[in-house]
Amino acid sequence: MSISGWLSRFTGRNSAAPEIDARRAGLGILVVFLAPALLVYAAFTIYPVLRTFYNAFHAIKPHGVVEFVGLGNFTTLLFTDSIFWKAVTNTAIFTIVATIVDVIGGLLLALCLFARAPLAPLLRVVWFTPVLMSYVVVGIIWVWIYDYDWGLANAVLHWVGLGAFEQSWLGHPSTALWSVLVAHEWKWLGFNMIVFLAALHALPAEVLGAAELDNCGWFAKLVYIIAPMLRTTIVNLTVLSFIGKMMVFDLIWVMTSGGPLWSTETVSTYVYKRAFEWNTFDLGYPSAIAVLWFIIILVFIAIMTRLLRQRDRLEF
Amino acid sequence: MNAQLQLWLGQLRRLPLVVFVILYTAVTGGPLLWVAMMSLRTTAEIFKNPYGFPSPAHWEKFADAWTKSNYSTYFWNSTIVVVIAVVLVTVIGAMAAHCLARYNFRGNRVVRFLILSGLVLPPQLLILALFQILLDLNLYNTLPGLVLVYVATHIAMTVYILEGFFAQIPQDLFDAARMDGYSDFEIFWRVTMPIGAPAIFTTVTLNFIILWNEFLFAVILLTDDDKRTLPLGIMHFTGSHQLDVGMAATGLMIAIVPIVAIYALFSETMIKGMTAGAVR
Repeated sequence: MSISGWLSRFTGRNSAAPEIDARRAGLGILVVFLAPALLVYAAFTIYPVLRTFYNAFHAIKPHGVVEFVGLGNFTTLLFTDSIFWKAVTNTAIFTIVATIVDVIGGLLLALCLFARAPLAPLLRVVWFTPVLMSYVVVGIIWVWIYDYDWGLANAVLHWVGLGAFEQSWLGHPSTALWSVLVAHEWKWLGFNMIVFLAALHALPAEVLGAAELDNCGWFAKLVYIIAPMLRTTIVNLTVLSFIGKMMVFDLIWVMTSGGPLWSTETVSTYVYKRAFEWNTFDLGYPSAIAVLWFIIILVFIAIMTRLLRQRDRLEF
Repeated sequence: MNAQLQLWLGQLRRLPLVVFVILYTAVTGGPLLWVAMMSLRTTAEIFKNPYGFPSPAHWEKFADAWTKSNYSTYFWNSTIVVVIAVVLVTVIGAMAAHCLARYNFRGNRVVRFLILSGLVLPPQLLILALFQILLDLNLYNTLPGLVLVYVATHIAMTVYILEGFFAQIPQDLFDAARMDGYSDFEIFWRVTMPIGAPAIFTTVTLNFIILWNEFLFAVILLTDDDKRTLPLGIMHFTGSHQLDVGMAATGLMIAIVPIVAIYALFSETMIKGMTAGAVR
């Protein structure tokens, strides 16, 4: 899902092909081809989005009670809801750190394999395995790894002589978010690695060869030659990873449910809690959170694609 | 002698790389191996030594987990929902993608924008309203309701990948087919589909893995135990066997083994499928 490629489809670069018969179709044909997709999509994606926007300005109580509250939900949210701000802070930390780790870590792993590490084809398959697992499986495995009494994390620390650092990783507000973040990276690094590896193999070999002849050190080669040539991939993965992290839910829900003391509460888990766990019985307020967050995500996508993309590299 | 020394130095320079590679492989593979070993041991054995080898191996635990809990139900629910949803989303997505890629018509851009804007919609923006809508339609807490939601939320990505591929098929082929008297449906079925098969295979793989692992929509739209899909079932099973770690590990392995088995056979296809769209 490359965002800039996707955006470029709307910028009117459809070449004006000569009018050929095979490009024309009667209305009936168009309807038959498009209707199934459009109907399902309209009923279960577009309509829910519109209804969420509607909900955001109302209080939605059980038994069909709907009260118009105007901007009330938003003002409560922004000015009096401290848990919301806690969730925003956590999501921001998680998003920024995880995106940086995703992109840099993925690139480094890809370079390891690109530098012909022994058994590279096998490692590529092994490193990608966690990507295919569900968050539920990954979450439960990592809850066990972080277990205070018999978990792998403390056992390894003990074994290398750092026993002083043993602790209940998910039980302390100061370490819980970071612990979940590590689990998240364990699952996703392989994905970024594969994408970078594909991009690296597509690089022109003669440029790398020339750098070799110029006796270019590997770090200089990485910073001045490889990174600039991978720009498009880096931009795409940054945006993709950023969007994904802004919506993080599954892993946090499985591992900590937002606790302890709101220390891993994210915007998504808070939406879920306000809608289905707290006995406030109001779908309007969580809808307002979702709408506000969606707008913020859109703004970030717009800023990032504008800042990061080079105009001459638009098409790919 | 000198040449040999240089070779040896060259190997030494690669040492950090090799060490790092070994460490990272241990980090990705280690936890999986650990769960696999625990799944064959009883909880008493695990609490005596969490990292021991499974000797003797308790294979009967797998049969226990499958028969004494609802695991078979979860497994079949997931299979039914995912297979139907993937077939539907592939067929209607391919039809829409073919139409957008092949025909010039008024409103082409609008339809394309509408469908592809689904790529940036967070699920959180949909779930609350979907909950209400499925309640209204009496589809809440039903598998058909979940299938419809899965199809609707994965059309955007399917159309995006397929349309990109279909648009690259040379127009000449279609002009020739038209001259040979193919109808619009024959063109779709006998030209676009066979030539687009690699892209279709990719979207099938991608949608299958994503939906097989899907959690958020399922946890909100299903409540009965006998309707749970596998991810919900695993979570429930682990929750109810919190102190019985051995049994919970067996449950996890039942979820992991099919994915790893398919992956062992089709690793290239699955890797290509999961990263489709990002590598373009």
